[in-house]
Parts: sequence; structure tokens; C-alpha cells
Amino acid sequence: MRKRSDWASGFIFLLPLLFTLAVAFLYAFVRTVYFSFTDYNLFRITHFVGFDNYVQLFSDPRFMLALTHSLVFAAIVTASQTFFALLLAVVLNQKIRGLTFFRATYYVPCIASSVAITTVFVWLMNRRGTINWLLTAIGRNFPFVALGLAVVIAVQAIQVYWDRRHGLPARALDPVHLGIGLLAATVVTVMLAQFGVVRPYSMAEVAIPWFTTRQAFLGIPLPLLSIMMLNIWTTAPTMMILFLAGLQDVPRELYEVADLDGATPWQKLRYITVPAIRPVMFLVITLGLIGTLQMFDQAAITSGIAPLESVITLAYYVYWSLFGARTLPRVGMASAAALVLAVLTLVVVLLQRRVGFSERGWYS
Amino acid sequence: MRRILLSVLLVVLVCSVGLAQEKVIITLAGHSVDTPLMQDVLARFVVGKIPGVEVVWEPITEDYFAFAMRTLAAGTAPDILYLDVYWAREGAETGALAPLDQYIAQSKILHKEDLIPVLLDAFTFDGNLYAISKDFNSLVIYYNKDMFDAKGVPYPSADDTWLTFLEKIARVHNPPEWYGICLNADAARFLPFAFAAGMPFLKEDGSAPFDLAAAKYAADWFTIFQRLGIGVTSADIGFGWPGAAFVAEKAAVVIEGGWLMPPIRGENPTLNFGAAFLPEVWQGGPRGNYLFTVGYAMPVNPPSGRPDLVFKVIEILTSPEVQEYILKSGHAIPSRKALLGSPFFQQVDPFAQATKTVFEATALPGTVPFAFGAVGGGNYMTPVVEALTLIMQGEATVEEAMNAAAAKLNLALGLK
Repeated sequence: MRKRSDWASGFIFLLPLLFTLAVAFLYAFVRTVYFSFTDYNLFRITHFVGFDNYVQLFSDPRFMLALTHSLVFAAIVTASQTFFALLLAVVLNQKIRGLTFFRATYYVPCIASSVAITTVFVWLMNRRGTINWLLTAIGRNFPFVALGLAVVIAVQAIQVYWDRRHGLPARALDPVHLGIGLLAATVVTVMLAQFGVVRPYSMAEVAIPWFTTRQAFLGIPLPLLSIMMLNIWTTAPTMMILFLAGLQDVPRELYEVADLDGATPWQKLRYITVPAIRPVMFLVITLGLIGTLQMFDQAAITSGIAPLESVITLAYYVYWSLFGARTLPRVGMASAAALVLAVLTLVVVLLQRRVGFSERGWYS
Repeated sequence: MRRILLSVLLVVLVCSVGLAQEKVIITLAGHSVDTPLMQDVLARFVVGKIPGVEVVWEPITEDYFAFAMRTLAAGTAPDILYLDVYWAREGAETGALAPLDQYIAQSKILHKEDLIPVLLDAFTFDGNLYAISKDFNSLVIYYNKDMFDAKGVPYPSADDTWLTFLEKIARVHNPPEWYGICLNADAARFLPFAFAAGMPFLKEDGSAPFDLAAAKYAADWFTIFQRLGIGVTSADIGFGWPGAAFVAEKAAVVIEGGWLMPPIRGENPTLNFGAAFLPEVWQGGPRGNYLFTVGYAMPVNPPSGRPDLVFKVIEILTSPEVQEYILKSGHAIPSRKALLGSPFFQQVDPFAQATKTVFEATALPGTVPFAFGAVGGGNYMTPVVEALTLIMQGEATVEEAMNAAAAKLNLALGLK
């Protein structure tokens, strides 16, 4: 009797969530499945069309392009943001001066509006924008940078060789030697520049059309690549917070033992940190895959200036099918595309769980 | 005494509740950029004019087409919504918009004869009128007089051909201070030139026309400014749209409509500018243009439940007084015939002159409504934008890009 009342009270507590799920998810999902087999246009259904929408979908080059873009986007962005987030988290997990400031600074891109950040990025990456200006500056000053680097390497090598020859334990990247090398590099570069021995490289202004182009780099359209960079920059800090939380749980003793064994920072990361935070890694990758497969807002904003075919993703294709053509909304097609996206997301997450990181912790 | 006081209070309360219930709220949803103007118009001309009615302005920042379709389908559309000629046919096809013929027939203020016929036709489908045009616009060449004077180049004029116009742009180009022309890969700007060159909307067999020689000729001309380095896109120089580059005096010429005047007036009111018709293909040859118009429409079941009062608000918003006020404030050209002879058009002020040019351009032969019939504007224009982008960036030849655009539209039309 008591068990039954427990069950009832548990159910009552769950009811609000179940109701929300039933209305916002189950009902919407069933309707979407139904619409995907009809020619519904938001106002009326005139025909049950069977699998026509799905057949049309897979014969539409724009859909196939959106599918490819979404998969490439998800793979590259998830991998990159996970890597950078972990790197940031490990760095910010150290006891360094001004830790709170750095944590807050790195988190800023996450709390800013996606629309605002995308707009700023579009501005920075315009043909005569800051990014191209920076690339031009780097390109033109390359001879100075190369010369300085060569002097630093040469001076460092000489100093380390000298020390070791005299029995002193000099490290390859000894900071004091590095400082002397940098000083020498600055003096040599400035002098040679003054005498005109080294001159800026004469090159045309870099004018990469980051958004208004169909050019591709390694098969990825430049506009999509730009969105990828933007997305990694804005999402990595959120993932960093998750990693930071995970890192707090890694026992300090493990690192102390590793230090006693003479492990390098890389070995500690590879053999202690990463295995210890596997459940967080699973969460970060899963959230990353879901988020990137459903990326919409940045594609929508940049589609105003970039060719649609360069930025279209599956989520944006769904919207395009509804409102983009400026015909009565093709809800049937959009529903079919939305279901393909849902199934794809599920399959990719399950695949990742099977062959990549699972939620099972190191200790289990 | 206390009882009497309580009774009086109760009566006052009941009366005020009753009065409050009688108040009819009419919602008017429009583009968010119209907010200052519409709030001004509502305050000046609507508040208190219809007893018991309060009109609430709802600025819409999202894609208006998506907003209209979504709310019409859900039955949550505002009492008055904008109907753009661009997708007016689709709006009418929803069956969720009320034909306004019966209301206009009974109206003492608004008669069909008062409105410019082409604007009535733009919103008439199957004999039913679905919106009252609030204003209209067309494209003109805006030019910065100071820049042309500085370079000693004659201003663009109605006599310009595509070639003379190109020559003027080349001569006025003065980077990095200013660029000859700021022109985006925009189908709404390109298509009037393509139509002027002889491209039909669709071929006789109903297929895409973009692979015709006329379309390629127009595409070649339209993109030559970027290819010669005498023109830029707004994204190239960090502006959201070409008009912003013109207002900031970074472009000597842009192709825009009357909507450019409020930003000039607001952000750079001393800008020394002029406006001219789009150039002719050749001397005395054809000239194209688009007629843009937006009207006030009403859903079949307006949320206020008072279609009669909703129409009264539309009557006021399209009345001669309001239209004259909007005209004088330089925002748009009114849809009433009577106002076309307004003394405003005779003023020498650059805003009045530009407004006059925009208006006169709509009456030129070759001006067609910015509408795409059953094809769908998105289906029609997206391949064109992609083709123009490729050509402008030098990533495809005119031939390749326009053939690809034709193939894409054919696919959307269900023709392989």
C-alpha cells in the first residue's frame, strides 16, 4: 500500500515534466512525422504523399549540400572545441596569478549574444576588414619575423651548446637564454632594417572574401569555415567550464605520484587527466555534436551576405523549406528534413558513444 | 456614511470595469524600422479618433513573411498586418486574409478610385482586394554631388546609357576615400536590368530564362564594376547594406529606393546628393525598374473581433492627411492619386527632388511589380544571387554562372 502511494507521489512530482515533454516533444514529434508524409502548407493538407517528400529531399542537391555541410561542421567544430576547451581548462586549473580574471575573460564569448558576435565577426572578416589587414601585415613583415626567429634559434643554440660543453645543465628552452636571444634578435633585426639589408615583403593587400564567395579550402566553403572559427571561439569556453568542473574531481595525489615518476605535462594529460574525466568528455562531445548538427543562427545571419550554397546546413535547410522560397511554406518537406536531422543526430551521438568516449568513468 | 461611500466606490468600480471591457484593442504589426514613423502617425492621427479603440503598434524584427505565415496559420495574426507585393499572392492563397472589397464599398473615406490603379492591381487576386497599399517605391541612382564635383565628372542623369554610366563610375572612383559604386549581388537590383535587356520572366516553355543572351549580357554589365575594381559590395567595406556606405560617404553611387532618405535625413542630413533614373540599355532604349509596395491587410478573424473597426483604422492610416504627412516627412510616396500633385514635389530640397524621381520612375515603361507569381521569390532570386556572387568574385564566368542559375531554377520549377 505504502509502495503504491510512493509511486503515486513520485508520479505527481514527475507530472509537470511529463506533461511538458508530451506536449512540446511527443506531440510535436508525432505531428512532424505525420506532416512529413503530406503536402501540408501550414494552411491545409490536400494530399497524403507517402514517401515523396523524402525522395524529393534526397534528390535535391541543396539538401545533399546541407547534409554534407552539417556533418563536416559537426566533426571539425566538435573536435576543435573539445580540444581547445580541454587545453583552456587545464591551463586555468593551475594556480596562476589573476586566475579569476582569465576565467572570466575566456568565458565572455559565451555570454554575448550570438547574433551580436556573428555581426562583429562579419565586420572583422569583410574584404577590407581587420583580419585581412592583419594577414597583410604579417605577410609584409614576414622577412623581419623570419630573421628574428632565425637569430633567436641561433643564439639559443649557441648558449645551450656553450653551457652544456662547460658541464652546466641548460635546458633547450632555458628562459634566461631565450630572453637574451630575443634581445639579440630585436637588435639585429632593427639594425638590418635600418641599413636596408632586410626589407618588407612586397605583396598585394590580402583581400580574402571570407563570406561573399564560393571558394573552398580543403573542400570546405570559406564562409562555412569562417562560421566554424566563430563557433569554436564562442562555444569552447562553455565546454571549458564543464572540463574545469571535471578537473576538480581528479585526485591531486595522482599528479604528485606522476611528478615523482618524472612524468612530463603531456604524459600527465594523456594518462591521468583525460582518462579521469571521461564522463565529462562524453558530455562535452555529445553536447558539441548535438549543438553543431543543429547550428542555425550563424548560418541564417551570414546567409544574408554569403551565397546560400556556401553556408546552408540541415537546420537552415528546414527553415529555408518553410519560408525561404517565398512560396506557401512547404511543411511536408521541412518536416522530412527535420526528421532526417533528428535521426542523424541520434545516430552520430550513438556512434560516438560506441567508438569514442562513453559516459563510463575511469574508476568504473 | 461608510456604507454609502462603499456603495459609491462599488458603482465606480463596476462602471470602470464595464468601460474597460468596452475598449477595443487593435494591433498593428509592421517592420520594426517603421517604429518611429508609425508611433508618430498613431499619436497624431489615430489616438482618440475612434471612440473606445486603442491601436497598439507591434514592431516585428524577424523575417516578416515568416511572421505573417506563422501567425496567420496559428490564428494569432494581428488585426492589421503588412502585405508585401513580393509575397502578396501567397498571402491571398492562405485563405486567412479577409477580402476588403465589402468594407471599401461601404467606406465614405476610402474609394478604389482614389488609389493608384497599379497599386490596387498588385493586391487584387481572383477579383478580391486583399490589402490597401500604404505607399510605394522604385529604384533610382543615388549619387553624391560633392564626389562627382571633386572629380569633375558629370552627374548621372536620365540620359545615361549602361556604357556612359559605367564610364562615370570609373571616373568618380577614388579609393580609399570613396568607391565608385557600392552594389551587392542582389537580385532585386539586377533583375530590372535583365528585364530591360530583354530577359523575360520565364521562357515561353515555362523554364528559367537566366541562360538567355539578354540575361548574360545584363549579368556581365551588372558585375563589371567589381571585376574592374571600381565597385565594392557593402560587406567588402564593412557596411550592412549599400545605403549605409552612401550615407557614410564611402560610395559615390548606390542603387536604392526611397527608403534611403530617412537614414540620410537622420544620420547625414547635409549630404549633398541627387537621384536619377536607372540608365537605359542604349540611347533611347529600354529601361527597367521594380515597383515595391506594401499594403495594410486584415485576417479573416481579427483578434479584436471587430473587423469594422479594424477597417476604420486602415481608413485613417491611408487617409489623405496621413499620407501627406508621411510624404512630407520623406518616408514614402503615398498611394493616393490626389497626392501625386502635391506641392511637396515642386520643392528644390534634395529630399523632395529625390522623392519625385522615385515616384516618376514608377510610371516609366518597363517598371514591373516586385512579384514572382507562383514561382516564389526565393526560388527565383536565390540562384541569381549565387550566380552574381560567383561572377563578382571572379570564381565563374558569366556563361557558367548564369547557366548554373538557370539549372537551379529549373530544378525548383520541377523541370530537369
